[in-house]
Amino acid sequence: MSRRGSGALGLTIAGLVALQFGVRPWLGDPRVAPDFLLLALLLYAIRSRPGSGALAGFAVGLLTDALAPAAFGAGALAHTVTGYLAAWGKAIFFADNVAVNAGFFLAGVWVRNLIVIVASGQVQSGHPLWHMLVWSPLMGLTTALVGVAVLLVLRRIGATRPALP
Amino acid sequence: MLTHPERAAARRDTLIFVACLVLSLVALALPTEWRGVVAGGLRRTVLLPLLELQRQTERLQVLTRRLDAIMASRDSAVRAAQFLPQLRAENERLRELLALRALTPGSFVGADVLHQTQAGGPLTILLAAGSAQGVTMLAPVVTAEGLVGVVTKVDGRSSVAMTWAHPEFRASAHTADESLRGIVAPVVGRQPGSELLELRGVPYGDSVAVGTHVLTSGLGGVLPPGIPLGSVLGVSREQTGWERSYFVLPAAHPSSVSHVLVILNPGADLGPAFGAGERARQ
Repeated sequence: MSRRGSGALGLTIAGLVALQFGVRPWLGDPRVAPDFLLLALLLYAIRSRPGSGALAGFAVGLLTDALAPAAFGAGALAHTVTGYLAAWGKAIFFADNVAVNAGFFLAGVWVRNLIVIVASGQVQSGHPLWHMLVWSPLMGLTTALVGVAVLLVLRRIGATRPALP
Repeated sequence: MLTHPERAAARRDTLIFVACLVLSLVALALPTEWRGVVAGGLRRTVLLPLLELQRQTERLQVLTRRLDAIMASRDSAVRAAQFLPQLRAENERLRELLALRALTPGSFVGADVLHQTQAGGPLTILLAAGSAQGVTMLAPVVTAEGLVGVVTKVDGRSSVAMTWAHPEFRASAHTADESLRGIVAPVVGRQPGSELLELRGVPYGDSVAVGTHVLTSGLGGVLPPGIPLGSVLGVSREQTGWERSYFVLPAAHPSSVSHVLVILNPGADLGPAFGAGERARQ
């Protein structure tokens, strides 16, 4: 990626982190509002090696665990796997196709939520089906919408070419 | 075919991934105390500016929401201010009549709820008030509707509360007329959208009418008596000849609250503050 592209990506990720804490509270139900933090992770992962994706995922997951410590470690595990898979899947998903990219973001949210629910033991004690079939897809959709918009902006300024593995 | 440097890089990626997985599993297996230490450390350092940003955002949101109401009531307030001394005296009389002394200023602290992304529902909530505001461990967290949970972790400017939806939540309770007592716990493993509580341990010979209000009883010393937990929906299960359990529709929903009160003197009876007399008559 060009230096300009790297700078643009860094600014975008910083912006998404700020959006997570500064704008997300305004976007209604937290079960549906886009997850800017995960989006930042996915955008980083698809431009990185799988190891870096996993490491970034672990860091993001640890931070989310600190904010919702009901099942400390579940977020770290979920984001690690998501970051790693995203980095591996870039060859497939980083196609020049809006629908494919949207599907990638949606799947990222869904997989992350699935792992969190399983790892935190809510399969026995909660309502996993409801969350996996309704809330997670809705959150995935809103995240995908934002993700596609971000990608279009990055593409316009020439910061979308992924690093080769 | 991968070249040697590519193979080495792929091996390094796999090692990092496995290391992160192992660290995540270690975090999952940490004792509760250690988890709290790590999570609290992150909240006090890396996350501090981000949480401050969210706190300001939540505050702005609440202020914006209230602005309309304030504007609407401003004219009334101006008019009412003309009769301030009389109103003050009348207010004192009314407070005595309603026995609202239990919730006098200083006995509670208001806190914004900093909602986070939580797959599976809010088992815990992050509050924008901590030890600096007087919040202590096990302090009850309430809204005007009823109990939301209890504080389980306290930092300087934030705290974490375990909501009633948490599988480990328990509260001793009684019906509004204090005729029946039991333990209230969250219902687990029910159908989608059914975030309910359950009143357990009601003697089989007694029955609780649908709609009966259920309040905290104060037994155990953690939760003060008189906080609404919810209202009875119906029988959930029964052990013939022994006891019945009842579904309870929760009074307050953690996922929808944006502002809560943290009770600082949990010894006081909060029944009058929540209109216990009225509930009992219903």
